[in-house]
Amino acid sequence: MSSNPVLEAIRTRRVVRALTDEPVGRAQLEDILKAGRWAPSGGNRRLHRYVAVHDPLTLRLLRMVSPGMLQKPQAIVLICIDWQRVGAYGLSSTSTGLYVDVGTAAQTMLLAAHSLGLASGIVTSFPKAGVRAVLNLPAQLSPELFVCLGHAAPGGPAPMRTWGKITWQSLVDWERFPGTPSAAPEPAQAESERL
Amino acid sequence: MPEKLVLTEDEALELLSFLVMAARTMVGEPNEYAPLRLLTAAGRLSDFIVERVTPETRVLLSGPLKQIPQTATRMADADGYAKQLDAVCAAVAQHLVRHFGLERGIR
Ligand SMILES: Cc1cc2nc3c(=O)[nH]c(=O)nc-3n(C[C@H](O)[C@H](O)[C@H](O)COP(=O)(O)O)c2cc1C
Repeated sequence: MSSNPVLEAIRTRRVVRALTDEPVGRAQLEDILKAGRWAPSGGNRRLHRYVAVHDPLTLRLLRMVSPGMLQKPQAIVLICIDWQRVGAYGLSSTSTGLYVDVGTAAQTMLLAAHSLGLASGIVTSFPKAGVRAVLNLPAQLSPELFVCLGHAAPGGPAPMRTWGKITWQSLVDWERFPGTPSAAPEPAQAESERL
Repeated sequence: MPEKLVLTEDEALELLSFLVMAARTMVGEPNEYAPLRLLTAAGRLSDFIVERVTPETRVLLSGPLKQIPQTATRMADADGYAKQLDAVCAAVAQHLVRHFGLERGIR
């Protein structure tokens, strides 16, 4: 157990795919949304919108259109890109920052949920057309990622296994790479993306 | 054996939706997700019908079909995964033989 509560929360947060049918309180959901507001955002542009859902029937239908949703969430925050704002800002639609921001918001909300004693998980395996129809999303919003919320139940599917043991060291290289420079072409990057 | 319905319309619709949606997501997802999605669908079908099927079918649904974790893919252990699937396929097929009376020569 680390004496640093932030590091401890980062280390102990896990995607939970078995949830009880205990509802998630409105106040808790709002606390998670408030935390999302503090997620880092490229250029502080805030080109994303969050759709909070805790109506049981809507949740049930969202699960029916989301093959990657193994859990039965009691609340969901859907992170959307607002393409009208992207266009108004003049940002390229291929800007990687747009998707990085989805990730920063998601992780911030997952950690907020964890700190409130809630179980959480990410789901991106859904067809956008299906989610759009269930939520009657306005055309400018594209659904990108569900943060699923609930209370952990015992049991449930095992975590997804990886191709080998992962340690932090196995993910990290230090400083400059030795050897002759590689000729690998840099993927094209729009000027507006560099931040 | 009398024919009886084991799925409600709501359950059938849920499953149909899952399959159609999965067809779309699989267009862009890694190939290894395909068996996972099919097994999730089989698992949901199994959960829907388990209380309404014959005791013999229930044994299949609560035994061999539950063997593969819902999050398993071939990434961690491709051979082991294929072997696990082979075992489930064999169990399902053996159940078919008994359920439809093939070994008794019933047509
Ligand atoms: C971009 C992204 C998409 C994901 N999509 C899904 C999904 O559709 N369904 C799911 O069950 N988990 C999904 N996950 C969760 C990962 O499987 C999970 O984070 C990973 O297995 C590591 O587990 P951990 O977060 O508990 O450490 C997703 C995670 C990320 C970052």
